[in-house]
Amino acid sequence: MNIETRNIVKTYQEKTVLNLTGDYRELLFESEKIHGIIGPNGSGKTTLMKIMAGLITPTAGDVLYNGQPLCQDIFSEMTYSTHTPTLFSRSVYENIAYPLKIRKREQNDIHQTVSQLLEEFEITDIKNQSARRLSGGESQKTALARALSFSPRVLFLDEPTANIDPKSIQIIEAALKKRNREEGLTIIIITHNLSQAFRICTHLTFLDQGSCLFSDTPEKIMAATHPTIDEFISFNRF
Amino acid sequence: MDYILNGFVEAFRLIFSFDPEIIQIVLLSLFVSFSSTLYGTLIGVPLGILLGINNFRGKKVVSRFLYTFMSFPPVIIGLFTALFLARSGPFGQLQLMYTPTAMIIAQTILVTPVIMGIVFNNASTSGYEVVQTGKTLGAQRWNILILLVLELKGVIMIALVTGFGRAISEVGAVMIVGGNIRGFTRVMTTFIAMNNNMGQYSVSIAMGLILMTISFITNSVLYHFIIGDHNEYRD
Ligand SMILES: Nc1ncnc2c1ncn2[C@@H]1O[C@H](COP(=O)(O)OP(=O)(O)O)[C@@H](O)[C@H]1O
Ligand SMILES: [Mg+2]
Repeated sequence: MNIETRNIVKTYQEKTVLNLTGDYRELLFESEKIHGIIGPNGSGKTTLMKIMAGLITPTAGDVLYNGQPLCQDIFSEMTYSTHTPTLFSRSVYENIAYPLKIRKREQNDIHQTVSQLLEEFEITDIKNQSARRLSGGESQKTALARALSFSPRVLFLDEPTANIDPKSIQIIEAALKKRNREEGLTIIIITHNLSQAFRICTHLTFLDQGSCLFSDTPEKIMAATHPTIDEFISFNRF
Repeated sequence: MDYILNGFVEAFRLIFSFDPEIIQIVLLSLFVSFSSTLYGTLIGVPLGILLGINNFRGKKVVSRFLYTFMSFPPVIIGLFTALFLARSGPFGQLQLMYTPTAMIIAQTILVTPVIMGIVFNNASTSGYEVVQTGKTLGAQRWNILILLVLELKGVIMIALVTGFGRAISEVGAVMIVGGNIRGFTRVMTTFIAMNNNMGQYSVSIAMGLILMTISFITNSVLYHFIIGDHNEYRD
């Protein structure tokens, strides 16, 4: 699903935290690609993502999904997960099964899908554990498995690998690339990890103080000569 | 000092004599307070959730009113209820004054804000995250309500225990609208107050012990089965 933003502005109590009206007033997040959103803390990345995911409304501007405004059908094909996910107070297995249960899938279907996800994310051994008592890596993997269980068309991820072990990062990145390649899942990911952005993204959008400074391929961003981008890249290179 | 010790001795004798009048008083207390907690729950839980998870103008004012009502003195609520139920009041023809029904109405008014306030407070904080997460996973209105009740289960139970505790231990409201009529509207607290006035300390102590035991048992049962469970899920 193509997602386009048009002149988005978000203001909280007179403070404008996002202002995409300059050179980059139209951003295109192309279908079936993996897009990265990068930039310093407080630059408006999460705000932009929540607006695109339909979780908050912009003060001005529009978001179009394949040229259409947001509706329930489009909303239900997208999902959103963060590095501090809200897991439900039930088992890991039941968390992942939740989106399927509310869609009234067959019991066998549910069991098969959840079992595959548990294996893929290497969390089978904790499937009966309460999801409220997991390590950071375990809860992030559980949340991602839950988000993927119902095969959404668009996946929004807000720093999904912040503060977790390298092995879990590898598992998550592999799962994302696989879904993108095999199912054409459109992924939009906020990351602080520049090498991760280069490993998985085909397109990067750089935000700074609520404005967009750049939106292009990773190679072009590396070649850019904007001081803020240069500084960001040199701090996050490794 | 003797009368205190004698009081306790007499109290145990009374308790183990299984006096039918005492049993009837205890059962009526339980019936009235359980009923009002039940009605308070049916009204307070959905309303608390609804107000908690939605952002609207005047939410601050609503919460301030709610917190004020949570600590309203029972006598005032008794008085308020009596004004409506009294023979010359707007609901006078229903002839509910000095009946167990009137006591249930007064206690429902007493406990509803307590239950609602506790649920509201928690729904405002953790409830919002649950709603957002549910939505991103495709939950519809009805799914989200079920999800919220399950996620707030522990909090709802705490609200119930608190509400029941307030109901069973208050004396002002049931005294005013019930009238402490022997064999009809006399409950544990009004029984204690009356006997204390008449200098019959031993029966007061006996009933006091029963009241404390009942509070202790209901609390332990609920804590053990529900809240204990809930705390396990906490980080
Ligand atoms: N609900 C809110 N109310 C007021 N200010 C907010 C709110 N959400 C975010 N902000 C502000 O908006 C700015 C951008 O935040 P955010 O989008 O979270 O940045 P990022 O994800 O890039 O770190 C920050 O200055 C933050 O304090
Ligand atoms: Mg952020």
